[in-house]
Amino acid sequence: MRPFVAFLLALLLAALQASLLHFCGGGAVSLALPLTIVVYLGLRAGNVDGAVGSALVGYVIDLMAGGPKGLMTSLAVVLFLSSRLTGAALSVQGKTGFAVLCGVGTFLYGLVALLFTRAVSPPESQPSLALLGRLFVEALVTGALSPLLMLLLRRLDALWEREDPSLLLLR
Amino acid sequence: MVGLLKRYRELILVAVLLVVPLGFYFAHAKHPSERSRLDRVILTVTGPIEKGLSFVITGALEAFQGYVALRHAHERAFELQKELMRLELDRSELERVKEENERLRRLLGFAQAAPERRLLGARVIGVRLDPKGLQLLTLDRGERDGIAPMMPVVVGQGVVGRVHTTTPTTADVLVLSDRNSSIAVRIERSRARANVRGTGAPDSCRLEYALRSDDMNDGDLLVTAGTDGVFPRGLPVGKIEDLKKGGQGLYQSAQVKPAVDVTKLEEVLVLLEVERPEEAPRTAAAPGAGGDKP
Repeated sequence: MRPFVAFLLALLLAALQASLLHFCGGGAVSLALPLTIVVYLGLRAGNVDGAVGSALVGYVIDLMAGGPKGLMTSLAVVLFLSSRLTGAALSVQGKTGFAVLCGVGTFLYGLVALLFTRAVSPPESQPSLALLGRLFVEALVTGALSPLLMLLLRRLDALWEREDPSLLLLR
Repeated sequence: MVGLLKRYRELILVAVLLVVPLGFYFAHAKHPSERSRLDRVILTVTGPIEKGLSFVITGALEAFQGYVALRHAHERAFELQKELMRLELDRSELERVKEENERLRRLLGFAQAAPERRLLGARVIGVRLDPKGLQLLTLDRGERDGIAPMMPVVVGQGVVGRVHTTTPTTADVLVLSDRNSSIAVRIERSRARANVRGTGAPDSCRLEYALRSDDMNDGDLLVTAGTDGVFPRGLPVGKIEDLKKGGQGLYQSAQVKPAVDVTKLEEVLVLLEVERPEEAPRTAAAPGAGGDKP
């Protein structure tokens, strides 16, 4: 998948999840749908396209999170590399494997972001570890929705990877 | 050298993408987040997308409800039941209108209680109560409507938060339960002063800087003190829960149940202009530094 397509899709998903959460529970639970794109890139994209695409998706997450920029971008690249390593070691191409990888990835991503934020925030505004419960629910919901997004991402991929008709004429 | 760079270019690119953003984060982590022109352009683009999605989802929900109702009526195939169904729908629609009316009446009551305040009504179009980032609500009004950062956002029941960032057409509100939100409050009963700080969970805050000697109990109502340069005085913030007075130390601690459930908001009021108490400082508090410390 082209990095710019990943970026546009992340923007769309971020806007979609903000609207969805408004109508479903008003934010009682949170979602991290753009991370699904990063995991997908880790499993399917090339090194350069995937890393750049993941950084762009991370930038969107950074923008939407509203805090100082950079952390989510960097963590998205880490998640991309982790997904790549996991994809090389285990079979996670199916829907279930992808959902589990997305769920675990989302939780670890949130956990590391939380720990980093705790490390750099002044003591009075440090995020509490009680937020781990919310992170866990976020990971569960994101993992559950990820197979649907995988279908969408595969379709988008197919658009870019369609065989050039001129090649058929040469055969 | 060039050969080496070419050979390891992928590795170098990944390393750059890892390290540069992290360096940027550490360089800016202690300061309030600022948005560049590019950030603002991107957020300005997402605003209409959110508005459009909100419109589509509302339309789809209404259409789905209509479809279900219609199918149900066909299945029963009795004119009387169809009529009953229609009346049911009408009634639920009326209920919805009545509830909306109630909410708007409370907002109007709030507006009429202090006519010197200049208020702007806005609808919530997006929710980002993300445990990893800030707790934000997106409003369908922005700079073009006169909204600027640090403006208080309220509903009839009390404080929602303050405007964090704006684009020409939308505004992000930092809700009171965000960990960077700190509001100067008084106990309504005893007038004792303290701060209410968010915890990052939408349904809880904590009480800070409440002197051990001050008179406060579980269930006491907290109202804004008006001394933080953001909120006017007297707006409900929440109620004290689980008050703990330790054997020693200067302060007592407590949980605060916010007066407003930020997960159930549909319309809010932005206070464009508020009356200021005489003791209010002139400068607005920065994120994470708001509130007074008695």
